[in-house]
Amino acid sequence: MRWALLLLLALAMPARAEDPALLRLMQGFAAQPRSEARFTEDKVIPELDLPLPSQGLLRWQAPDRLEKHTTSPIDEMLRVEGGRLLYERPDRGIRREFGLEEQPEMRALVEAVRGTLAGDLATLHRYYEIGFTPEGAGTPWRMVLSPLSIRLRAAVQRITVSGRGAQVRSIETEGGGGVTRMQISP
Amino acid sequence: MRRLLAALLLLAALGGGLGALVGVRADLAEFLPTGRSPASTFLFRELQSGAATTLLLAGMEGAEPAELARVSRETAAGLRASGLFDFVGDGTVTLGEGEQALLFRYRYLLSPETRPEAFTAAALRPKLEALLEGLRSAASPLLARFGFTDPTGAFLGLAHAFLAESRLEVRDGAWFAAEGPPRALLIARARSGAGLDAEAQRQAIAAFRAAFEAAKPGPAQLLLSGPGVFASEAAASIRADVRLITLASGGLLAAFLLWRYRSLMLLGLVAVPLAAGTIAGFAVTALVFGGKVQGIAFGFGMTMLGVTVDYPILLASLRRPEEGLAAAARRIWPTLRLAAASAATGLAAMLGSGFPGLVQLGVFAGTGLLVAAATTRWVLPWLLPEARIAARPLPGPIRAGLGMLRGRRRLAGGVVLGAGLLLLALGGPAWQRDLAALSPVPREAQALDGELRRQLGAPDVRVLFALGPGTEAEVLAASERLAEAVAPLLGQALQGIDLPSRYLPSEATQRTRQAALPAAGMAQAALAEAMAGLPFRPTAFAPFLAALGESRALAPLTAAALAAEAPTLAARLSPLLFRRGEAAQGVALAQGVRDPAALAAMAQRLGDPRILFIDVKAETEGLLDAYSRATLLWALAGAGLVLGLLALGLGGVRRTFRVAGPIGGALLVTLAALTALGEALTLFHLASLLLLAGLAIDYSLFLAGDATDDTMGAILNCAVSTLLTFGLLAFCGTPVLHGIGLTVSIGVASAFLLACAMAPRPLLHA
Repeated sequence: MRWALLLLLALAMPARAEDPALLRLMQGFAAQPRSEARFTEDKVIPELDLPLPSQGLLRWQAPDRLEKHTTSPIDEMLRVEGGRLLYERPDRGIRREFGLEEQPEMRALVEAVRGTLAGDLATLHRYYEIGFTPEGAGTPWRMVLSPLSIRLRAAVQRITVSGRGAQVRSIETEGGGGVTRMQISP
Repeated sequence: MRRLLAALLLLAALGGGLGALVGVRADLAEFLPTGRSPASTFLFRELQSGAATTLLLAGMEGAEPAELARVSRETAAGLRASGLFDFVGDGTVTLGEGEQALLFRYRYLLSPETRPEAFTAAALRPKLEALLEGLRSAASPLLARFGFTDPTGAFLGLAHAFLAESRLEVRDGAWFAAEGPPRALLIARARSGAGLDAEAQRQAIAAFRAAFEAAKPGPAQLLLSGPGVFASEAAASIRADVRLITLASGGLLAAFLLWRYRSLMLLGLVAVPLAAGTIAGFAVTALVFGGKVQGIAFGFGMTMLGVTVDYPILLASLRRPEEGLAAAARRIWPTLRLAAASAATGLAAMLGSGFPGLVQLGVFAGTGLLVAAATTRWVLPWLLPEARIAARPLPGPIRAGLGMLRGRRRLAGGVVLGAGLLLLALGGPAWQRDLAALSPVPREAQALDGELRRQLGAPDVRVLFALGPGTEAEVLAASERLAEAVAPLLGQALQGIDLPSRYLPSEATQRTRQAALPAAGMAQAALAEAMAGLPFRPTAFAPFLAALGESRALAPLTAAALAAEAPTLAARLSPLLFRRGEAAQGVALAQGVRDPAALAAMAQRLGDPRILFIDVKAETEGLLDAYSRATLLWALAGAGLVLGLLALGLGGVRRTFRVAGPIGGALLVTLAALTALGEALTLFHLASLLLLAGLAIDYSLFLAGDATDDTMGAILNCAVSTLLTFGLLAFCGTPVLHGIGLTVSIGVASAFLLACAMAPRPLLHA
């Protein structure tokens, strides 16, 4: 009888014991329906001698709309909403629309950022193994996302998101021998 | 009475057994002609059994755009999962990983950019600069993946060209019609080598509907079109049309006959020759045409045999009070025999037309007619030896009206003359030159098909080139020669052309491109020069140099290899390059043709035995003209024969012309009426005119003698019966049925009235 009770208890427990600090952080993100921030980005590509810088604006609107508007050195727009991705480059008259479901790698990359901003831990878990370090006195919190899919891992080995409070301050994407560092300032 | 019931039962059993034994073909393949020139033969074979028959076009409407897009995406996913389709286009077309790998591997053999000068430092420099610029953009993951192995962009260019769809609007991952209420569009090509049989088409359509239902469409509606839909669903709707009309007109006819004769026995009497004629016609047609009867010929044939109800009606009505049925049959037989023989002779013109559907129809109706007449003569008297059926006297006003009409030959002559003048004034009858009007597919279905095709940008092919036959390499080489010859005309005589060599270059071309790739040392030197001053690391393009070496060693790509590894690309190629028996055959589809004559002249100049220019419109029009001419010629010959028969049977030229007068007059009046109504004449109108001539012979023959009021009444009963049968057809949506109904209705009315007017005035004491 007692065994059975224990078993029931075990079943009732959440499958993962979440870090309470991570849960709190996610609740903090979930409480912000919209945000806007500036970013600067540096792409380091192993085949190139020097990094490629860019900057622009990030916009988030709950539940699922994320926009990355690069203003320099070129003007381009990347927007995801629901399952659709839109790429626009006005100076070349380019406008393309894709379905995220057709591009599993892209979907995972999008969900890394979107899942964080939405405070949607379940989605993050669907694509990544999460290593979380809570915020310290002088150090930001850090969430290291390692792709679960082998296919994705061939292109992206690790995404490191860090920030203070319910604000993302940097996103670092490592893959294919290169790294892209994005700094975000509110 | 007992014999009649037994005969009806026997006929029903025979009919059922025959129906079960002999299949009815539903597809249109045997209904339409096979063509008389190489061009038209190719064209019709393609129309009937080619890759075109595997196409399904769909529109979805009746809900919010976002919802329509969802339904469209999910339907498309369901279609892809079913495995029954080679290709599903819905706005989310992408290349699979395996296909990308294949394209990537063969990029330098497939890309038209592969030329020796493309690999010089001068040509590479701008490519490298563009790559650097692209790496700064959001597309950098893509470029980082392909750019260093393929800095010339051969692969991305290929992928882009292969996936470039028509300028369809994409919303939420679905194609949408540019104009009108929101309508999501889908296109699918059922899996098959070339062409589908009726069963496979049915399966594909069922799978399509199932996928749509599985997408939980809610209020959204599916509009489906394509040759397969025409063949199976439209044919079914025609059959339903025919069945409904048969039932309705049968009911009306039965009610009319009951009112006129007050005898159920007469209905049985009428049914026996009709059933016997139908069964005989069916059996003989099946025997002549290899065990199968075309469903549409069967449907029309049944309708045409409706005229045989005349025979038992005449027999019953013309019986004198003191006579038995057998004696009456013996007495009227010479006239009846002459009428049936002349009518069947008239139908013989259909046999000469050479149009397959019409030939079957001629055999079916001709056989049925003769058998029905023979049944009336020999079987009916034996079935009901003591029958005493008599028509009720005609209602007074009608009798008076008909009496007034009798003997007014000048009036009749005036009407016919007027009709002739009207016809002249209208410029003679208009001939239908559009194949669509001959198609048994209902007009709305044809209109929907045209609309979906336009919205999907599926070209309404007006001009095409047949390539081959020959080996695959020969057909592809012909395709390349055509591409070269067409190039200067692009943008002027035509907008574009879809060629098989666009997807798969010929072996010779692939080998030429391999030869154009630079040797390792040369490539390295050119690259080093192009990279000078750019921030690329020295080893950045090592994979590119390696790929050049690999490409030089590849075996050229074949259609078989493409089909095995790249289904999406193969689906693009398969309608343009396919097997016909041992040989390969290709098609090139010209789009936006403005000047077919220039294309014809170009093909003429080429004089290439493997490139055949086909102007679809001119070809079908020419073909229809040829068929119409043949039918007309045979109809004239038939008319001569009928006149001869009549002269023989009546024993005098004068009497012959008195009988033939109303027939010719009725034909003229009908032609004038049809032309005035704006009907363009088709082969089926011609066939109906032949049928009409057969009917008019009955009326004319029986009224030409010393016709009594009873004879007049009997003929009126016949004419009304025919009007009831055919009048309803005129309201059908199917062009062919409509044409037959209208022609016969107008013709019967005018034939009866003219025959009445030509009949001698009754003697005063009668």
